[in-house]
Formats: sequence, C-alpha cells, structure tokens
Amino acid sequence: MDDSTPPPAGRQSWAGLRRQAADYGSTWLVLFLAVMLAAQVSLLWGLAAATAAGWSFLTVQRLRRERARADQAKCLVDEQLLQSQKLAALGKLSAGLAHEINNPLAIIRQEAEWLLFLCRQSDPLDMTEAISGLRQILKQVDRSREITTNLLNFARRQQPVIQAVDLNRLVADMVRLVAKEVEQRRISVITQAPPDLPVIKSDGPLLRQVILNLLNNAIQAIEQDGTITVVVQRAEPDAVLIQIKDTGCGISKEHLPHIFDPFFTTKPQGKGTGLGLSICHGIIERLGGTISVASEAGKGSTFTVKLPISLTPKEI
Amino acid sequence: MPTGPTVLLVDDEERFRQNLKKMLTAHGLAVTAVGSGEEALAELARQPYDVMLLDMRMPGLSGLETLAAIKQDYPETEVIVLTGHASVDTAAEIIRLGGFEFLLKPCPLEEIIAKIESAYERSLARKR
Repeated sequence: MDDSTPPPAGRQSWAGLRRQAADYGSTWLVLFLAVMLAAQVSLLWGLAAATAAGWSFLTVQRLRRERARADQAKCLVDEQLLQSQKLAALGKLSAGLAHEINNPLAIIRQEAEWLLFLCRQSDPLDMTEAISGLRQILKQVDRSREITTNLLNFARRQQPVIQAVDLNRLVADMVRLVAKEVEQRRISVITQAPPDLPVIKSDGPLLRQVILNLLNNAIQAIEQDGTITVVVQRAEPDAVLIQIKDTGCGISKEHLPHIFDPFFTTKPQGKGTGLGLSICHGIIERLGGTISVASEAGKGSTFTVKLPISLTPKEI
Repeated sequence: MPTGPTVLLVDDEERFRQNLKKMLTAHGLAVTAVGSGEEALAELARQPYDVMLLDMRMPGLSGLETLAAIKQDYPETEVIVLTGHASVDTAAEIIRLGGFEFLLKPCPLEEIIAKIESAYERSLARKR
C-alpha cells in the first residue's frame, strides 16, 4: 500500500502512527521507553543479585553454624578422648602400683605369719630363721619405699633449673660412678666425646640422673663381660646427642613399644620397679629433648638422648 | 608321706615361692615350687598335680597363658590364681579359662589353705 494513500476511517497504519509519533516528538517517547526498559532490567538484576546475596549470606551463616557445631562436637570428642586416655593411663598406673606394692606386702605377711608359727611351734625359737625373716621384712619395706619414692619422682612436676652444663664432664663423672661395678663384672666402658663440644644450657642434676640410669640399665643388660659405648656428639645446628650402647641381652620386639611405660620391666621380680626409664623419658621431655631406643634381642641396645643446646623448659 | 593334695606352686618371686612352700609343707601339704609357666608345664608333663597355685604376672608365659595351656592338656588339675592385682576383666578371663578361683596378694595363709582344700575336693569329685 502506498503511504500517501489515506487509511480507512477508524484504522491507523504503522506508518501513520510513525508519522503521528514524529508529530508528538517520537524521540522523547523512545527515550522514555528505553529508560523504563533499562529500569526494569536493572530492577530485575537488582532483585536477582539481592536474592543471590541473601541466599549466599544465609548459606554462609548456615555453614558457619554447622562448622561451629562440628567444632563443638570435635572439642567434646577430643576432651572425651583425652579423658579416657587419662583414665586408661591412671588404670594402668594403678594396676602396676597395686602389683608392685602387693608383692612385697605378700612377702611381709608371709614372714610375719612364719615368725608367729615359729614362736608357737619352736621352743626355743630358731633365732637364725627368725632373724632371716625380720631382715626380709625390712628388705621388702625398703623395696616398697623405693617404689613410692620413684613414683613421686615420676609424678612431680619440677621445673628444670637451667645452667651451663659441660656434657663431656657430666658423662665422665657418671662413668666414674659406675667404674667399680663395671670392673667387677668385667665390662669395659668406651667414651667417645669431642673436646670441642659446646657447653649446653640444661639441668645438670636431672641429666646426671638420666645418664646414670641408662648406664645402670646397660650394666644390668650385660650382667658379665661386655662393652658399653658412650658417644657424645653435636647434632644439627642446635642439638647434642648422647648415645649409650651396650652389648647386653637386648629388648624383644614385643617389649620395645612399652619400654618407657611406667611399671614396665623385663627384670626379675624385686630387681626393678619399672619406673627408671619412664622417669628418664619424663626428664628428657622436660628438658626439651627426646629419648629413643634401638634394640635387638640377644645383641644389645642403644639409647639415644637428643638435647637442645639451649633449653626452653616445658612442663610435662 | 602326706596323703592330702599334691600342690604345684608357680611364682617368679623367689622369696614368696620359698616362704609359701615352707608354710604349706609345715601344714602337711606336698608342695613343689617352680619359677615360671614354662617350668610348670614341664613339671606337669613329668607328674600330675591335684592343685596348682599360679602367679599372674610372670616373665615368659604369663599366668593366663599358662592357665590356658594347663586347662587344655591337664584339665584334672585345679588352678588357683594368685595375683597382686586383678581387674574385673582378668577375673572373668580366669573363670572363662577354667580357673578354680583367684586370690589377691597379700593373702592370709588360712585362706590359701582353705582354697587348696576346696580345689582338691573338686578335683577328687571330677576324678570319681
């Protein structure tokens, strides 16, 4: 249809409208419509963004709540675990203590019962037997006292007294202390210590206790005829190592994981309380170091103590 | 020659073992004392015993291991376990393995003798 042809009455062609729009200022209308459209689109985007933000916020909050709940549950489980570990350790300690104390008590009771029996039966009283019984009672009381003293030492939380320690001298002093016993048992002690070893900051008396304990264990493991090698050396930039190696009976594989447990002992009844190595372990930990053992049954053991050159005390 | 029960005493604590043997013998019992589970099994292989007094915590074969081995090979021997400490679990294990009774150290001699007599009676009843 020709644009110039007038449309029928009551109907308007697109071209007519365009003309009309042009007449009424079509630019403003188009602009207005465009602005409205843009506003609508922005509004929709805004709504979508706000919904997404709100959703994200709620999700984050929910996740935080779940995380807090999980953390709380984990704390509770950790606490329960710690508590049960403490109880297990206490149970083990009590069982060991009961066993170690009840054995000497049983002997004391026997000796007293036997003395009573002798008093009732023998006339005159067999003094040799009576004196032997009384001596045994005293011996068993000392044994019990040693157990309780060691247990107290084990449990005591003693802050180390930090001082300059010449390890070479300390080790030589302790070797000198066992010299007589090793000589009697025909055990030779070889000490390897570099003269330029730095003076360390540690607790001398506590270290002496550990070294002496390890030397005594080595002697008991050898019994007769063997060699103990004590090596002191620098390790890493800030540590020193003390190794005490013996050619004794060694420790079996099944005993090795328990060697530092309180009351664990492979010595015959009455010969060891099973507290020595656990005390050593506690001391070395307090001195910021580590103690480990390598051993083979029938061949011997090597105990290795690693100490920091400068001590940072930590409570156990 | 005592006519009562033959008793095998197993304990690694030498003084305890010697004393108990001495006191039980003085009460008319025939007692043999050994220092480990392994020695106890060897002794049982040599001759039968009516009652055994068995320590719990010993180097080598433990009391429970020895008890299990004895109940398997020598069920007619009644076993009384002597221990310095017994938890409920240990007590249950002793009974489960067929132990006659367990006694806590330090234990009065009269109680030990009374338990040996009860165990002997059960041993005789089992043999009839």
